[in-house]
Amino acid sequence: MLNNYLKVSIALLLLAVSFNGFGQNDLMGLLDDEETTNYATATFKGTRVINLQSTEIPGAGVGQFVILHRFGAINDDPLYNLFGLDVASVRLSLDYSVNDYLNFGIGRSGGTKTYDAWIKAKLLRQSSGAVNMPVSLLYYGSFNVNTTKYDDNLDRQFSDRLSYVNQLIVARKFSESFSLELAPTVVHWNTRLTEVQPNTIFGLGAATRYKITNRVAITAEYMLQAPQNTRLVGGVETPYENSLSIGFDIETGGHVFQLHFTNSRDISDPNWMTTTPGSWANGDIYFGFNISRVFTIKKPKTPDAPGF
Amino acid sequence: MIRFVLTITLALGFVNAFGQKMMTREGYIRFFGTTPAEDIEGVSNQAQSVIDVSTGDMAWQVLMTTFSFEKALMQEHFNENYVESESYPKASFAGRIENIGDLDFDTDGEYDVTVAGKLTIHGVTKDVTANGTITIKDGEALLDVTFDAAPEDYNIEIPSVVRDKIAREFDVTVKAKYQPLER
Repeated sequence: MLNNYLKVSIALLLLAVSFNGFGQNDLMGLLDDEETTNYATATFKGTRVINLQSTEIPGAGVGQFVILHRFGAINDDPLYNLFGLDVASVRLSLDYSVNDYLNFGIGRSGGTKTYDAWIKAKLLRQSSGAVNMPVSLLYYGSFNVNTTKYDDNLDRQFSDRLSYVNQLIVARKFSESFSLELAPTVVHWNTRLTEVQPNTIFGLGAATRYKITNRVAITAEYMLQAPQNTRLVGGVETPYENSLSIGFDIETGGHVFQLHFTNSRDISDPNWMTTTPGSWANGDIYFGFNISRVFTIKKPKTPDAPGF
Repeated sequence: MIRFVLTITLALGFVNAFGQKMMTREGYIRFFGTTPAEDIEGVSNQAQSVIDVSTGDMAWQVLMTTFSFEKALMQEHFNENYVESESYPKASFAGRIENIGDLDFDTDGEYDVTVAGKLTIHGVTKDVTANGTITIKDGEALLDVTFDAAPEDYNIEIPSVVRDKIAREFDVTVKAKYQPLER
């Protein structure tokens, strides 16, 4: 009897000691009990997929300068013009993120000589874990002023030059390499050039990104229009084409370098979205690139070290 | 004899029950590497750590996405291209205060410590030894240790174009203020 008590006691003693011996596993277990929220980052590399705005904005306190370049048509006397490289249309833009959610900027696009100002805001961030959010949602809006000189003698007002773009951007990063975006869009032109041409055009943008390596990705985007915008060709009301672009993102340290082929030569928002005359089928394809450079204006606060 | 064994058993059980463990969820980890081209500094103060003061066992874990950098793009590259946080979200350390016998957690003072164990970053585990101090004050313990780490040791791939901009070896500073773990 006594012996049994002794045995049980020794067993308990050993058990207690062994629990201490298992301390290490025990300790890791203690750390795991808090579920965190993991936000999806870098759904796309650049702030634009190609022409279409992506889910990205520069970080808080960071400014960005982007040069967007579109050469001439590849099919326009290709050997004489070296596949369009003799001519170029350029857009310059500068933007700034006041915090992680709000970005605004200004830009000027060549060709249509359009100045614009825009705002881009993150409304929802894709996340998993404690907070589960299947998609990211952003709002993008731009205000555009076409400054091309009129070649007629009609009485014009400043408001005739204006056009507006409002857009929602819904995107999901399905995996480390694959992202998909849909962008319902409304483009409004203050002036119509023909009686048939609509003032307001609804659009649906779609874009995707597939990473080949950590630093190189393939991208593509498309913009549907409803109703289809039109223009006069030789006196005949003719629909504009939908914009389709295919490209590569190449990341090199502080730059994102985007190379692409597109049927939209104009880079200004309302123009590439609704006034693309070129058709892929006819070979009206333009080579182009976007280069971005970011610079930190306001440094983030470094976390404090603990102390007594 | 029975009483003696029972007493010891109960005493040990009691000690275990009260944990003798100290913990923090605000552990501070800073890594710093310098080259003529660029200084890289990443800091997190959201690391979690626990010490078993009776055995000296120590465990750490930190989410890689909690490290912040001077440049937002550096943070994106750190997570996307280098430590690949989506595949390897956490870094962890399991080790021991080697000279736990020299420490008295009930007496205020500064004690030199050597912490040795296994550090896992980017899915690769390496032996690490960190030296520094633990300061005890009013029942709290402040750990302050440093060690070196090289990205290549953890299979963190650095392309040749940026190789000269990223230090070969990073100084890592670890600080944590532990509080007794209530149960």
